[in-house]
Amino acid sequence: MKSPIKSTVIYGAAASLAIMMAAPAFAQEKVTVWWVKGFYKSEDDALYAAIKKFEDATKIKVDLSQYAVQDMIPKTVSALDAGTPPDVAYADVYDFQVTGKWAYEDKLADLTDVLTPIKDRFEPAALSTTFLFDAAAKKKAYYAFPLKQQTMHIEIWSDLLEKAGFKVADLPKDWKGYWDIWCSKVQPALRKATGKRDYAVGFPMGVDSSDSFFSFLTFMDAYNVKLVDDDGKLLVDDPNVRKGLISALTDYVAPYQKGCTPPSSTSWKDPDNNVAFANRTIVMTHNATISIAAKWMDDMNNERLSAEERAKAKDYYENAIVTTGFPNKPDGSKPVYRTAVKTGVVFKDAKNLENAKKFVAFLLKEENLRPYVEGSLGRWFPVTKEGQKSPFWAADKHRRSVRDQYASGVVPFEFTKNYKFTILNNENVWAKAMNRVVNEKVPVDKAVDELIARIKQVAG
Amino acid sequence: MATSNAPSAAVLLEAPAEKRRLTTWEFWGLMLIVPYVALFVLFVLYPVIYGFWLARHPHSYIDLIDDPIFFRTVINTLIFVVVGVLIKMALALGLSGFFMQTRPWIRWLSVLFILPWAVPSIPTILSVRFMLNPEWGMINTQIFRLTGEDGPNWLNDPTLALALAMAMHIWKSLPFWTLILLAGRLSIAGDLYEAASMDGATRWQKFLHVTWPSMQALFLTCTFLSMIWTIGDFNSVYLLTGGGPADLTHVLATLGIRYLRLDRVDMAMATIIFAMPLILPLVYIMMKRFSK
Amino acid sequence: MKLPDRQTVATDAKLLLIAIPVAIWTILPIYHMFLFAISRKDSAFSGNIWPSHPTFGNFVTVFKEQHYFLNHFWLQFWNSLFIAVMTGVLTLLIATAAAFAVSRLKVRGGRWVMNLALFTYFIPAAFLAVPMYRTMGLYGLLNSQWSLILAMVTIASPYAIWVLKQASDKLPYELDEAAVMDGATPVQLFRLVYLPLMMPSLVAIGIYALLLAWNEYLYAFLLLSKDTSITLPVALGNFLSADDSPWELLMATGFIYALPPAAIYYVFRRYMVGGLTAGAVKS
Repeated sequence: MKSPIKSTVIYGAAASLAIMMAAPAFAQEKVTVWWVKGFYKSEDDALYAAIKKFEDATKIKVDLSQYAVQDMIPKTVSALDAGTPPDVAYADVYDFQVTGKWAYEDKLADLTDVLTPIKDRFEPAALSTTFLFDAAAKKKAYYAFPLKQQTMHIEIWSDLLEKAGFKVADLPKDWKGYWDIWCSKVQPALRKATGKRDYAVGFPMGVDSSDSFFSFLTFMDAYNVKLVDDDGKLLVDDPNVRKGLISALTDYVAPYQKGCTPPSSTSWKDPDNNVAFANRTIVMTHNATISIAAKWMDDMNNERLSAEERAKAKDYYENAIVTTGFPNKPDGSKPVYRTAVKTGVVFKDAKNLENAKKFVAFLLKEENLRPYVEGSLGRWFPVTKEGQKSPFWAADKHRRSVRDQYASGVVPFEFTKNYKFTILNNENVWAKAMNRVVNEKVPVDKAVDELIARIKQVAG
Repeated sequence: MATSNAPSAAVLLEAPAEKRRLTTWEFWGLMLIVPYVALFVLFVLYPVIYGFWLARHPHSYIDLIDDPIFFRTVINTLIFVVVGVLIKMALALGLSGFFMQTRPWIRWLSVLFILPWAVPSIPTILSVRFMLNPEWGMINTQIFRLTGEDGPNWLNDPTLALALAMAMHIWKSLPFWTLILLAGRLSIAGDLYEAASMDGATRWQKFLHVTWPSMQALFLTCTFLSMIWTIGDFNSVYLLTGGGPADLTHVLATLGIRYLRLDRVDMAMATIIFAMPLILPLVYIMMKRFSK
Repeated sequence: MKLPDRQTVATDAKLLLIAIPVAIWTILPIYHMFLFAISRKDSAFSGNIWPSHPTFGNFVTVFKEQHYFLNHFWLQFWNSLFIAVMTGVLTLLIATAAAFAVSRLKVRGGRWVMNLALFTYFIPAAFLAVPMYRTMGLYGLLNSQWSLILAMVTIASPYAIWVLKQASDKLPYELDEAAVMDGATPVQLFRLVYLPLMMPSLVAIGIYALLLAWNEYLYAFLLLSKDTSITLPVALGNFLSADDSPWELLMATGFIYALPPAAIYYVFRRYMVGGLTAGAVKS
């Protein structure tokens, strides 16, 4: 005689296994899509709407799975390994970490026939970041598709700044003066006014963060440092590169050394400067999207919050928080911004390659892409010319600031030229150099020499 | 293990007349053992072989050694395992003596004392992480209120952060080892102590001549076992420091997972293979001790 | 009633000197978690020892799933429960069967199986996680809750087998003999003699496996990822990547999640201490 519990469990397990195995047998025309979970509901809703339209128009079933951003790469890699990749995949971190590498390793499908007909609709600089080298095919082609992009912004609590006796408009425009005033004037005045342990700035310096390298590389750009040429060849042996890196690193660690960025900023992860800013313990921070401001916009429309909380959020979004670009470069010229174009991919081994291409082409249509990009409340900037002209980007001061920054010209990341820079960013050699200086008291020039040595070792 | 003097059922059944039934017993023995063996083959043996296969290229090891944080990670692991475990076991030995005392309030305290082991790691470790935040955490806020000075930069100083990760590990697993050693102490015959008292032995002499000789073997077994598992302690470091600041507080367990997330599974496996010289001798000692 | 003599008071004072630091050390992280859980958002970051306006509002928010990161709280709670219970049941089935076969049926190669189990028990679970994660991908089990259940059973059963075999070896073999004389089949022996006598150890092992799975973080976050299939610890980990890290909700959720294991432990602690300290448990 069998115990009833035992047999229930066994039959239960057997039944579930049978269901799992039987699932593919019912498959019809379909496309498997893995997509990162959105930051806002509106973003996901726009994606679902586009998928629904696609299914209605083509009768192809979209099998969508959404994962948290930190899970996307391990999941995709594991699926690639097992020979069962999804057909289409997108994550906000693909461009930073894997797109270039996968193209190089011949894992991606060539999307030239999808992108060529619609090429003119895209901002050329943004589109160029998806034109990648495949070492096996020995050619460059469109191995990814551009969706949206992000760049560096400065966020300021103007009311806190005023408490300290300063106005945003009065801040110096020159590089040295701008960065200096926060530590030397704003912080002492603010602490005196509030009697609290406030900090003037929040400089992300954590290794486990993309904000820290995005910010640091923006500082490096200000010193006109170019690490690679268009063919991906390293330029780090140029003495001017070393000099520029030393200046950028010196400027970047200065606030920490002067005690005007929170001590914990050396281990900040990406959300931490947002949190510090939202708690009003720092007056200013730089961030790679306007999510810091957009959070309050989300709150002011969130019906779960009380009327009082929503009114406060509205005041913060519309008045207290100011989004600006960077000060002029040390040589006096206007800043140019570094853009990260978010890329999605179709895998070479996709089981439904043609459907995947149809899906990508459909999603990239302006009427589908725009609601998705704008669903992120300003977090991501469009890659299409038409999308950038949308009234959405003129609707409030934060978005206007983003639009104006993009209008002043952008440069791409090194990894779009030499994919091995993704390894350097993953390792975050930039934040490690900062930590060498501030934690281990290594002189800046020595830290830069170590940095250059590591760049050559990894990407040479 | 199988040192029972009683004749086993199987031995009894080896009478020739019962040959046919003997196979039924063997059949059932096999049937009942098969699920575990299948589990072992599918989820231990095959993954391990596959893992070794993934890390078959020498360049994985070269990349690993070239990674500037690797050496530091090995040192951290050794410190964590040797210093952390010795402190923990010394505390556990001492506290097991404390919990031997028969007072009602000590029994209540022992109930409370088990909590860290019983509750899940993630919320408690995250709670400590926030408590230690230099700007908003409770500790530094109180230090600032009391002294007007900023407190230490707890988790952003590599040395302090590693020490705190060890403290976290001790917090979590101290109750368990104390309990084991307490069980060991309770099994020492009471008349040994009485005899020692008659001879006028001091507390320390009693420990040295009665407690320690009876506990020595158990204590060593526990220490070795604790060392093996501490090498594999992922939560204390990952959830408290995340390996930071600047990847300076990684241990081999967190480094392996870090590579996995960076799409370098070969380096993740290489890290684990590097840990084997630390683990295998200990495992060997333990196998010998346990299968006695 | 006799007054305590001076020596007892002095010993008590010395014991208190140990007891107070031990109590503070033990309770501080848990107290801090509770403190956060009853703080309002605006006072959570103040660093006070007691919140200015204690509230149970956070728990209400969690129960009503009123935050983007809590949209699936009850489902995730259920996932944790389902996975923990399945792990407990499967571990019991597999381990009891194996221990019975090795200890009572003296199956050939039993010693060999015990060594395999012991070896698996000693290897730290975190190191097995990397290859196991990849193999689960190869088996096509990733994102299925069965991958986590099977992984947890793999980790729990070696110790379970070992403890059950120890307990089983202590049962008198005369019982088996008597049963065999009466013409009992192995199945009858298992059901009528073995199981009833092993009950206390089985309870301890079942709970051990259940708590192991309930508390697991590393394997859960590697093997599961859909919002609707993850367990609570993974959901807690995901809070950290939220833009406005709602720590007070994170701690309230964590507190709720810590209650069942604490309660189970206290209810069954007689079994647990007796059943598990015989050997050793994965801490």
